[in-house]
Amino acid sequence: MSNLDRLAEPVRRWIWQQQWTRLRDVQEKAIPAVLAGGDVVVSAKTAAGKTEAAILPLLTRVLGREEREATGFAILWVSPLKALINDQFRRMESLCETCSVPLHRWHGDVSASAKKRARERPSGVVLITPESLEATLVRRGREAGRLFGELDAVVVDELHAFIGSERGMQLQSILTRIEAAAGRERIDRIGLSATLGDMWLAAEALRPGGGDRVALVEGLDPGNGVRLQIRGYEIARSRPLPEGGKAGPTNGEAEEAEDSSMPTETEAPLVPRPVADDLFRLLRGRSNLLFAGSRDRVEVYADTLRAMCEDQQLPNEFFPHHGNLSKAEREDVETRLRDDPRPTTAVATTTLELGIDIGDVDGVAQIGPGSSVASMRQRLGRSGRRAGKPSVLRIFAVEDAIGPGSSPVDRLHLDLVQSIAMVECLKDGWCEPPSIGGLHLSTLIHQILAMICQTGGIRPTTAWRLLCERGPFRTVDRALFVALLRGIAAPEVRLVEQSPEGLLMIGEEGEHVTETHDFYAVFATPEEYRIVHGSRTLGTKPMDQTIAPGQTMIFAGRRWRIVEVDDRARVVTVQPAKKALPPAFGGDWAGVHDRIVETMRAVLAGEETYAHLDATAANLLADARAAWRDLDLATTPVLASGRGVVLFPWVGTRKLETLALALMARDFVASADGHVIEVDDAHPEAVAEVLAEMAASPPPDPQPIVDRVSKPLRAKFDGFLPRGLMDLVTAVERLDVASVPAVAARLVGS
Amino acid sequence: MTPKPTIKPRDRDTILNALRAGVVPRLGLQHIQVGRGREVDALVKDIDRIADGGAGIRFVIGEYGAGKTFFLFLVRQIALQKKLVVAQADLGPDRRIHATGGQARSLYAELAHSLATRTTPDGGALKNILESFVQKAADRAKATGKTVEAAIRESLGDIRDMVAGYDFATVIAAYAQGWEEGNDERQAAALRWLRGEYTTKTEARADLGVRTIIDDAAFYDGLRLLARFVRLAGFGGLVVCLDELVNLYKLQNAQARKQNYEQILRILNDVLQGTTEGLGFVLGGTPEFLYDTRRGLYSYEALQSRLATNSFAADGLADYSGPVIRLANLTPEELYHLLERLRDVFAAGDPARHLVPDEALHAFMTHCEKRIGEAYFRTPRNTVKAFVDLLSILEQNPGADWRERLGMVGIAVDRGAEVETLLPEQDEPDDELTDLKL
Repeated sequence: MSNLDRLAEPVRRWIWQQQWTRLRDVQEKAIPAVLAGGDVVVSAKTAAGKTEAAILPLLTRVLGREEREATGFAILWVSPLKALINDQFRRMESLCETCSVPLHRWHGDVSASAKKRARERPSGVVLITPESLEATLVRRGREAGRLFGELDAVVVDELHAFIGSERGMQLQSILTRIEAAAGRERIDRIGLSATLGDMWLAAEALRPGGGDRVALVEGLDPGNGVRLQIRGYEIARSRPLPEGGKAGPTNGEAEEAEDSSMPTETEAPLVPRPVADDLFRLLRGRSNLLFAGSRDRVEVYADTLRAMCEDQQLPNEFFPHHGNLSKAEREDVETRLRDDPRPTTAVATTTLELGIDIGDVDGVAQIGPGSSVASMRQRLGRSGRRAGKPSVLRIFAVEDAIGPGSSPVDRLHLDLVQSIAMVECLKDGWCEPPSIGGLHLSTLIHQILAMICQTGGIRPTTAWRLLCERGPFRTVDRALFVALLRGIAAPEVRLVEQSPEGLLMIGEEGEHVTETHDFYAVFATPEEYRIVHGSRTLGTKPMDQTIAPGQTMIFAGRRWRIVEVDDRARVVTVQPAKKALPPAFGGDWAGVHDRIVETMRAVLAGEETYAHLDATAANLLADARAAWRDLDLATTPVLASGRGVVLFPWVGTRKLETLALALMARDFVASADGHVIEVDDAHPEAVAEVLAEMAASPPPDPQPIVDRVSKPLRAKFDGFLPRGLMDLVTAVERLDVASVPAVAARLVGS
Repeated sequence: MTPKPTIKPRDRDTILNALRAGVVPRLGLQHIQVGRGREVDALVKDIDRIADGGAGIRFVIGEYGAGKTFFLFLVRQIALQKKLVVAQADLGPDRRIHATGGQARSLYAELAHSLATRTTPDGGALKNILESFVQKAADRAKATGKTVEAAIRESLGDIRDMVAGYDFATVIAAYAQGWEEGNDERQAAALRWLRGEYTTKTEARADLGVRTIIDDAAFYDGLRLLARFVRLAGFGGLVVCLDELVNLYKLQNAQARKQNYEQILRILNDVLQGTTEGLGFVLGGTPEFLYDTRRGLYSYEALQSRLATNSFAADGLADYSGPVIRLANLTPEELYHLLERLRDVFAAGDPARHLVPDEALHAFMTHCEKRIGEAYFRTPRNTVKAFVDLLSILEQNPGADWRERLGMVGIAVDRGAEVETLLPEQDEPDDELTDLKL
């Protein structure tokens, strides 16, 4: 017997009207699970019918209620994107009509009067974004009990998009607050997720601290399919010519010779011709997202492609989209992509992917590997939503042609290898787990402010119990919460203040923060830092790595010594470093998880061939594997290079940077860059000796390391954290001091 | 010592029940009133002035439990005795002086609902006031030979000229018409309109043919119209008692606070300039509501200068003519007197039935002072509650010794009426977070 019979009569009538011949696998499985009550994660491929798998049994539950006169919403459907909500609204409209259940959509673009109607007579299904939900709680906190008191269930659409992110923390916290405002111990949560290798991650994201009691339902239906390609490009590198036009490596002996070799203009990264041609050929005429990396790169790519349109007397279809553009400009691009039938490609920064509210495109392209599998999965999900259309993702891996003087690191084509490794992880259904012990203090500050607005004043203990004991901020204990409150109440911060009877209230600065429209969203677009030499700005760079003065960094094709980092002004002051040509690795290595780097090592050491590589990419991989064998990296991860040493620990960014900083603390000039650590002016033996000692010792004291590193304000409210807490965040979330002995041991083979 | 009045059993029970619950009794305030002589005198003068067609505004400022609400109730009783109409409401998150989301209308509705006169002291007097007005007009019509309708129209002339007065007058005329015609529906609609219970103009227009309703924006104008109207109906004027103004201080939005303070400024200016008639305001709030320069009334420059303490009022000299009345702490003597009175209430005014000797009152005060220090003088509420609890135990258990019981009396620091409902209460570990002071 099919589970069809367990659905309510109007629901079955609708299914019959749709002329479905049978229910799909995910629906058959989800119906009994959802009807049974409790938390459920429903996973299946894109376009496999997850939406119906959840809504059909939920409507059956709502229709089965004895109380027919609704005084609150019955189903709260939270979705990360407005476009997705509009899409779901169309899909559910006729169903809800058949069932006589009101259906509301509620996000920034919905008219105020429609929202007001929904608010005044709350009932049925409401489709909403986390930000609109936050706004409702903040601005109409006292109505929360009425609006959400009768909820049957909360549905979290695209649950995988919330795992481990700030927005995920916010959503979990909001759901806890809704349960508390409704006076309920718990409200059933239904999560809809892409299939992940470890579904427990999704369960835990749905119900923090209670993932083991979440029922898991996995549909086996084929989705629309995925078409994925990694395209390799071997490009001869244009090197900054030293004085006298002498090509090749400069050892830069003389300090005074350096400034004269400075490029006189900020070097804009150029788009290699073959890459531009292919992008133009593959993207034009359809709607796409092109993730190009930093803002500079976005501008260059968009400009190059626009120029190509003009040259061929075609209308322009390529538009840049990043945080430095005005909101109106960005919205123009989004609107055009969403509502305009003309083909449009938005060229966007990697960091902005959450901020772009575009539901459905034909294809996604990205330059380089990107930094997380989760975001790759997200991007992939932006295409292939329409029936019969597969998801399309093209990764453009641009590698240097190897020549004399190339860094050994370049010979490994790590950009390409990382892309391959990430696709392998993606195919395994893996995604980055939330970092254990992460404090999320920035998001916690946001939630404290939001709670105060919602309640009109709250006792510190209640706030802690709700947010940290019941809610998702489990790593924050009472003492840390006190420290945080003291920090944000400090006279120079003034986010909160206290009434004489002890209630937390919004402080003077907090009023400015909470009164803006931006307040409801927690995801911040990380600010880019200006790289400054002398009085000249060399360009900007998103600061996704942990750096300390004295280290070197590579920027605009040159190597620089970091003199000073100002996190508040977002300026890095640099001086040219005298050294051999830097590796050309331009990829997104910062923030990469251990598992990806391990897979990269396996790709280099292995023999497997991959069908999704184009011919150039396959050749480049073969070259890289040859280099791997030449350099004997499997057995010698400590390599002499020029006058320095290169270390290949094959670990993720946190461990890599921590080891580099630990070496700095031992008076080496060590910088983490592109999956390797470069140690200047050192002998392999000397480095190996220190590593051996590190391997045999307990982890180093974190404080000296924390003291010297820059602490970029990555999350939205990091700027309000007092120094001590920012140090703590750095030590806990951005460094991994405990790993130093193990990583060192790996390098010296002990 | 003044001769003690006997206390009616009904008053006695009402007083004791209310005090044990920590609230102000509605009846028999005179039995437990101590001190505050000059403050009361000042308010009596205000009330007389209002009854003469003047205006008044007083901010009654005191700590939680200092007796603000008690004082407001006392004022209310005096005003009722003097044939004024009294409206009374507590501000809250859903009831404010200025708002755009219906909270100001809601406060107006609460006030209109609470309207009380000497004969209807428990609220709901609007209907009586209307009837009194119509009756008067009918009498006048009879005397002059005009129609009732014409008499009403004539007497409403003043109101019609006031801000938002036209529709107000129309609605009152509609009530009178309904009264004459025995049309209950029309009367009910008019009452509903006057109480600020219509939320849409469309509805009001369909029922009464008026184009406006009393909404958020009409809060103060509505009160002015009511004040004018109760005078027409034969009452001295209207006294509006608003309590818990600390809720304005607690608004988390700077803009919303400012708008409320602007409205208070408007009221204050009207009163001080004498442009209102027969209308008085008594506003109760905690010191931070007034004095906090960041989010209290003092944060609003124009109000601060108008409300500033008389700079000569220092060293025990007080000025009771300014708009602010600071409820000083009860002196130990006054507190002792209060305990005496409570003992009298228990004994229904008969000294022979006193439950404890004078010695016990001293011992009680000493005990409390030791337990929580000087602070307890500031907040009679908890002291009174504890003492009433003690006496009622002794009353019900005649064998019990007050000395034994006294050791068990505990008094919590008064945190005000604020209760948190977001999470069920639970025992908190005794750590820094529990009593955090930032």
